[in-house]
Amino acid sequence: MKLETLSRVRRAMNRVYEIITDTSLDYKDKRHLLAAEAENFLPYVKISEKAQNYFAEGILCDLFEGHAPYRPRYILPDYQKFMEKGSEYLNLKPPQDLFEAVNALLIIYRYVPSITSYPVYLGQVDELLEPFVLAAGEELSEKLLKMFLVQIDRVLPDGFVHMNIGPKDTRTGRLLLKLERELKQAVPNISLKYNEETPDSFAVEAVKTALEIGKPYFVNDRELKEDLDPAYGVASCYNTLLIGGGSFTLVRLNLKEAAKKARDFQDFIQNVLPDAVLAQAEVINARAKFIVEEAKFFETSFLAKEGLISLDRFTSMAGYFGLYECLEHLTGLKLGQDKEALYYAEQVLKTAKDTLKRVPGAYCNGTGGRIGFHAQSGIDSDIDVTPGVRIKYGEEPDIFTQIKTEGRLHKYFDTGISDIYIFDRTARENPEGVLKIIKGALEEGIRVFSFNTSDSEFIRITGYLVKRTDVLKYEKGEVLREDTVKLGAASIKNNNTEARKVRIIGERNSQ
Amino acid sequence: MRGIVNKIIEVSFIDGPGSRMAIFLQGCNLDCLYCHNPETKKYCQNCGRCVEQCPAGALTNLDGRVTWDKAICHGCDRCLEVCPHSSSPKTTLWEVEDLVAYILENEVFLDGVTFSGGECTLQADFILEVSHKLKEKSNLTVFVDTNCFLEEEKFLTLCQNIDGIMADLKAFDPVLHRKLTGVANELIFQNLNTASQLGVLYEVRTVLVPGLNDHPQEVKNIARFIRELNSYTLLKLIPFRNYGVKSYLKEAPNLPEEKFFELFEVATEILGSRVYGKYSI
Repeated sequence: MKLETLSRVRRAMNRVYEIITDTSLDYKDKRHLLAAEAENFLPYVKISEKAQNYFAEGILCDLFEGHAPYRPRYILPDYQKFMEKGSEYLNLKPPQDLFEAVNALLIIYRYVPSITSYPVYLGQVDELLEPFVLAAGEELSEKLLKMFLVQIDRVLPDGFVHMNIGPKDTRTGRLLLKLERELKQAVPNISLKYNEETPDSFAVEAVKTALEIGKPYFVNDRELKEDLDPAYGVASCYNTLLIGGGSFTLVRLNLKEAAKKARDFQDFIQNVLPDAVLAQAEVINARAKFIVEEAKFFETSFLAKEGLISLDRFTSMAGYFGLYECLEHLTGLKLGQDKEALYYAEQVLKTAKDTLKRVPGAYCNGTGGRIGFHAQSGIDSDIDVTPGVRIKYGEEPDIFTQIKTEGRLHKYFDTGISDIYIFDRTARENPEGVLKIIKGALEEGIRVFSFNTSDSEFIRITGYLVKRTDVLKYEKGEVLREDTVKLGAASIKNNNTEARKVRIIGERNSQ
Repeated sequence: MRGIVNKIIEVSFIDGPGSRMAIFLQGCNLDCLYCHNPETKKYCQNCGRCVEQCPAGALTNLDGRVTWDKAICHGCDRCLEVCPHSSSPKTTLWEVEDLVAYILENEVFLDGVTFSGGECTLQADFILEVSHKLKEKSNLTVFVDTNCFLEEEKFLTLCQNIDGIMADLKAFDPVLHRKLTGVANELIFQNLNTASQLGVLYEVRTVLVPGLNDHPQEVKNIARFIRELNSYTLLKLIPFRNYGVKSYLKEAPNLPEEKFFELFEVATEILGSRVYGKYSI
């Protein structure tokens, strides 16, 4: 055996041994990491030397998706179809009552692959269950929905597991919001699709829930329907993708690191950024092709065979982050503070998007044959770089300026963007006031508005939630059920998450 | 016309219904034992004492006028501590048009504005003009947070041109009221009646101070008075807390939680769900 191969084998064996003997991981985490190790023993999907260099320079990053992807990163099955037709593969008939409906969903969730190994999309749960809830009555429904939510939290303990509700007011939606308030669980993540038809009384229930537990997000339903597809869902953190589809991969570009290669802003816009975006697209397409053509995911998955997903509703995502630092480096301007920064920000985004949309996206039929444009929220290992196109934590201007600045930027992103606003606890006294701000924000172009209170037990990291008490347990070395806690704990330190400005201070001296 | 503004909070959740911009005007006509904001009482005398003490160099004395540079200010409030006149060098003069334009820039996020203070009705004419202009151009509502210690005729005009009054009633008992604030409460009751009849008395707020107005009879009297007034005014009970008190009662104890709940119960028996407020320290 060649020396190089031998040392590679040794390294892999060491790594496998490390995983197996790591006392901070539980069984399922180990199994997941061992599978990743096996995948990464294969060479990386074929990409050019230029693209490899971008990885080495820290400009491109594939978020540890693995060398040889064998399933799409995010999958959004058409659960409505599943409820109507049942599944031959799972040997399930269409559910007839709430018991069967809840049971059917809990079964299929275990069979939905993703990059995390957990389902990142649980469906439009209020719509799916509403007819059964109406038939079952309030008391029984509440009990069953509670078990449903508890089961999700315990069996799928991952902050990226994501449920959608709204925009319609439903009995089920209200029950889920109420139960979530009571249960105070980090999982699942929740989005409320919000539009003009969402009644205030329902939206206020959602606001009350979010002020307690940091979820749901408010999603700009009108804009996303128009821009993406009427049948879209929110998966994992802030990924807006097609129901019945998903995203093969997410490769992201660090605008801060890319900016360092440019002589000046013009050089960045004309040369550096387009070159990096083209390399990013190359990697994305190589990965998507591998899943479809070599791993043959769509030929083997029952989800595809039974029509719960379809190749023509898939896409890939190109993610961007570090815009704040990119602008600061190239122009000396601070986004949110200096008005001209917004002009430069739009130039960067237009250039990146135009470049990306010139390249055919392999199997990206869900977004017109082009790769989706995405604001990536950051990961635990990012240091001194701001997620997506947000304003650096601690440097935010007043909330109205922040919303208006970001509202101008959100429109570019068809496959996901967000920001997080922290209110002080007086917001709980006035959920109607919070709703007014959310409505204003959506009107100003914000696509996903997520918020929390500064005294909450929950911390929203990049997009997922962790409990403060769990972070403390993790730091003491306890093995935890939720695999997202360790990501969150590192993120809080590296991303300065706790420096986010508390935007509305009502606790002043007003006696 | 120009108003003297102490500060503006772009959005507040505790100054009336919905999302409201809170505009604090300079000047007050009461001398409350538990004042939290004595620096809002008087207008700046330009004595320059604060200029010497400002660690950031944000204050300068220009031709006998103290001026404040917001961009340099650290917000340490040293100037407020050393001011011998219960004032602040950090007030800003706002033209009506400019304030209205600033509010309308953010109209999409707001249900309205609330003028507070100090005692904002000392600048009632300014409020009237802002309200008038705002209503010409938007659906925003205007609320006024006031002690109601204002000449009856002026108060009537004000009530006819705004949407809501949030009234401080420091005490029901006249002797107690004088002790707490330095003034009688007869005029205040008159004005509360006026606001009530015009349908704009949104809420009455009472801070419960240990040993002063935390007697059940006091709370009973206030609640009964509101019940007699109308069927819509809310009563907000606020437990006294010494945090941030800069006047006579800064050493006084907080109102105990049990006492607050007892008084809350007394008010609730009379006004039902129209009583709100919570115990938070």
